[in-house]
Amino acid sequence: MEKLSNPQELSLILKYALRDLSRNYKKLSSIIITLFISLFILSAIFTIEDSLKKELNDNAKGLLGGDLEIDYNRNKGDLNLINQVKEFATIMEMVEFSTMISTTNRDKNQSLFSRIKTVDQNYPLYGSVLYEPTDALKRMHEEKNTILVNENIFKTLKLKIDEKIKVQDQLFTVVGLIKSVPDVSGFIAFGDFALTGKQTLDLLKLNSIGSFLNYEYKVKFKENDDPKEIEKKIEEIFKNDQKVKLRYPENSASGLKRIINNFSQFLSLVSISAMLIAGIGVANTLLSFINQNNMSIAVRKAVGFFSVNIKTVYYLQLFFLLLIITIAAYSSSFLIVPIVDIYLSEGLGLNIKPIFSFINFIKIFLVGLLVLIIFSIPTVNAIDQIKASNLFRNVFQNLQFYYSKKSIFVSLILLSILILLFTIGSARPLYSLSYFAAFFICLTVFFLLSKLIIYFLKTLKNTKNISLKVSIKNITQTKSITPITIMSLGLGVTLLLTLALVGNNFKREIAKSIPELAPDYFFVGIQKSEKEKFVNTITMMDPNVDLEIVPIVSSGLIKINGINPNTYILPDNDSYWVIESDRRSSWTDIVPTDNPIIAGEWWNLSKSNNLQISLDAKVAKDFNIKLGDIFTLNIYGREIDGEVINFREVNYRDLNINFAMLFNPEFANNMPHEYLSTAKFDDLSKFNETRMIEILPSLSIIKIADYLNKVTSVLNKVFIAVTLISAITIVIGLIVISSAIMLQGKVKEFQNLVFKIIGFSKKEVILSSLIEFIIIFKSVILIAVFFAVIGSKFIIENIFQLVWKFDFKVLIYLGFSIGLVTLLLIMISNLKFLNPKAYPLIRNQ
Amino acid sequence: MNNLLKLKKINLKYQTGKDTIRVLQDIDLIIKKKETISIVGESGSGKTSLIMLIGGLEKVTSGKIYFQDQDITSLTEDEVSEIRRKNIGIVFQSFYLIPNYTAVENVALTLELNKFKKPYDQAKELLDRFGLKNRLNNLPSQLSGGEQQRVAIARSIAMKPELILADEPTGNLDSENSKMISDILFNYVKEEESSLILVTHDLKLASRAKRIIKLRDGKIV
Repeated sequence: MEKLSNPQELSLILKYALRDLSRNYKKLSSIIITLFISLFILSAIFTIEDSLKKELNDNAKGLLGGDLEIDYNRNKGDLNLINQVKEFATIMEMVEFSTMISTTNRDKNQSLFSRIKTVDQNYPLYGSVLYEPTDALKRMHEEKNTILVNENIFKTLKLKIDEKIKVQDQLFTVVGLIKSVPDVSGFIAFGDFALTGKQTLDLLKLNSIGSFLNYEYKVKFKENDDPKEIEKKIEEIFKNDQKVKLRYPENSASGLKRIINNFSQFLSLVSISAMLIAGIGVANTLLSFINQNNMSIAVRKAVGFFSVNIKTVYYLQLFFLLLIITIAAYSSSFLIVPIVDIYLSEGLGLNIKPIFSFINFIKIFLVGLLVLIIFSIPTVNAIDQIKASNLFRNVFQNLQFYYSKKSIFVSLILLSILILLFTIGSARPLYSLSYFAAFFICLTVFFLLSKLIIYFLKTLKNTKNISLKVSIKNITQTKSITPITIMSLGLGVTLLLTLALVGNNFKREIAKSIPELAPDYFFVGIQKSEKEKFVNTITMMDPNVDLEIVPIVSSGLIKINGINPNTYILPDNDSYWVIESDRRSSWTDIVPTDNPIIAGEWWNLSKSNNLQISLDAKVAKDFNIKLGDIFTLNIYGREIDGEVINFREVNYRDLNINFAMLFNPEFANNMPHEYLSTAKFDDLSKFNETRMIEILPSLSIIKIADYLNKVTSVLNKVFIAVTLISAITIVIGLIVISSAIMLQGKVKEFQNLVFKIIGFSKKEVILSSLIEFIIIFKSVILIAVFFAVIGSKFIIENIFQLVWKFDFKVLIYLGFSIGLVTLLLIMISNLKFLNPKAYPLIRNQ
Repeated sequence: MNNLLKLKKINLKYQTGKDTIRVLQDIDLIIKKKETISIVGESGSGKTSLIMLIGGLEKVTSGKIYFQDQDITSLTEDEVSEIRRKNIGIVFQSFYLIPNYTAVENVALTLELNKFKKPYDQAKELLDRFGLKNRLNNLPSQLSGGEQQRVAIARSIAMKPELILADEPTGNLDSENSKMISDILFNYVKEEESSLILVTHDLKLASRAKRIIKLRDGKIV
């Protein structure tokens, strides 16, 4: 037989490949499972991300509430300009504000802090509102003092249709409940909300300072108009209005997009791990498979096959296998979309559907192919080591991974393509690139560790214990597979530990109780004139209450060093919320105890006539702000320049009063302001929420426990997703570990048979395997713990932006459990090799 | 008592699907100490199966095997291993050397297992006697068939067993190597007053034993 030179030979090789595959697929089950799981994870991530982005893009107008949004924040805005837009487009007026909703006429009335949207008849301009009963929306527009509440308010307050509820000092009739609204913005995504008619505004005492008031005008263009032209026209109308902010559909749900991007970044890292670790598993299993076929390969060589042809037969089998598995994995990923859909429609009102994308399919296949080729090159090249002369010697030769200069070069090129493919497509390319670097550093460290173990054990030759002696011999022997075992086991254990630590930190965050020093309540919207009344009422209820009241003013950051930050700070920036809309700021004479200054000085009293700003250090880092930079703030329509003079470390999680920006009191005291308060009661039962609202109807009360429950429920959903994906990836880790053992299987089986023949007891054979495992695992676990700690800290802090905590007990527990599971796995995989049946082996059956 | 081995009504059956294959049928055999026996017979007559049963590598379907008056069929696997470790050396046609152990390591392994002092020195001495002085640190794959078989024999006789079981020891070797191997085996049993059970097709080799047993279809004829 000649080398691949004509179609006839090619077809012969193809025939052999197909025939071998049809006969060997059961022996390759480990490769099939590993590849399927890793490609399934990859497909699921691609499919879900695509479906989600498509839903967000398709509904961008619905999410924004129109083709364009004119946001005047807490001002009604220039109605003349709005009327100019009305001449060529439809406008829907919406005013949002936060307030308390309370039940009435019950023995024990309940209240909830909610966001209320007052809308006109044009609502919604895009998408639809799902509500019950059918006439609810019509009634809301036509009847005065009517309201629709979301499902959670309905359930929590145990409301009935047509029941009266109180919003501030006005009574409203609940005419229905809302299942979902199309304009899901950041607040609505996680908070309670209600819809009322436009007339509500005149009934309630809303002032422009408090109530988190927001005036928005949603614009819908005429069907035949060119959107770009209309956008330009509107921009021209508002070009001299400094108070307005125009938003476009592409800016809609930026918070949601940021969450999706962060989560896909994590998933993308998990899928890279899954793919790379699966690659190692494939390499191990394939080498073990080729080892099993040692004889048949030698026979093929003896009858005239060239090595290259035999290798092609193996590559072709892998190619066909990959094609079938990719189709199966990609198709299966569609089944997961409806599950995610249930999740998302519940919380966000988004409905995602699986979308077939040929490009995605090709991308997944390409990733699979690259991983498969990179990791099978050294394995399939091992075929070169098999010689037909082995048949005459009747010697079983254990094959090794084989690298030639050419194969190293090809592998490096393919690896670079794989890294590029993952990096370019990811939300944070630098993270992905660093991840690859970390992965290969891990691999190198484990390789060096294996060499160190071998070197150290070689010095321990004088042991008397036969089992220990055999274990040391097995680990240190020439052409030992210890390095590949340690690398596979090391990466597998590192992955298991990292995911376990990520999961554990998540669990801890979810289970976290309210910090001990955290207040019980937040009170928002205390007017200057009501401050005394508020303090008196609350101290009358509980004289020992720990009350903190701070002044607040709303301001919009419109320029940083003279430049509009919206022109260069993108919505995916972690601190985008600071410039997204107006923020509340406060002032204080002394440095807050829980907000230490980490750069700069506290207020400069010699410049008390100028605005000075103390900034959250994280915001400064995200926006690249230096001390001395100038912020231009829009405060009640006035543009005021302020100098950033210090950075504070703000921990929002302590649930005390924290602000991104603090002002110098000498300057800020002169501005119109209201107050924000926190209260920690000596006896919580003494506080009467309903009474408080009766006395101060415009007051908003936020119960910390309720707020934490909402955060916890979101975290819980993310935790379930993380756990599910981790569990799937852990399966790959375990398969890889067992594949590393399988690699030794044939050699071990033969070795143990000889041991049996010369009189080793079963105990001695098992003990030698155990010692071998313990020597390797003990060294691996120490390094794996180190990598897992770094990896999980990075994921928790940078990707999920939660608090990572080092827990020694958990590490010991996890290390021990993983060791035990791995040991069991090894013993189960090794069981048939530990005590081989002599008869069939000797008979060559 | 002069008997080293006594086989009583030995039967060995295998189930392959619905068929039952009777490999050995009602074998009765007594082997005395220092006795050399050849077992001959056609392929499939049960020769290898018989010495595997004697070596305790396979369990009988029925019957009893007494080694030095001890019924080894009633012992546990580890107890049989203990007997084999000290008293029985086995030589195979396919050598069965550990591929990743050198020649000297393969031989020393048995000595270490039996807690001999200076196992490597004894292993070297033995291999030297068998003309393998220059091949001590070679792996089996680096040895010729004759050399591999000499290492295998060195390993099986290293702890001076009372019984050697040899299954076609010259089956894979040329005539020159065959003669060398058979000389080593017969000289050893003579010198050490051990017993030898030799399975072979080679009638010339078989005739070197004191007694020849012929097997046909699992029965002694």
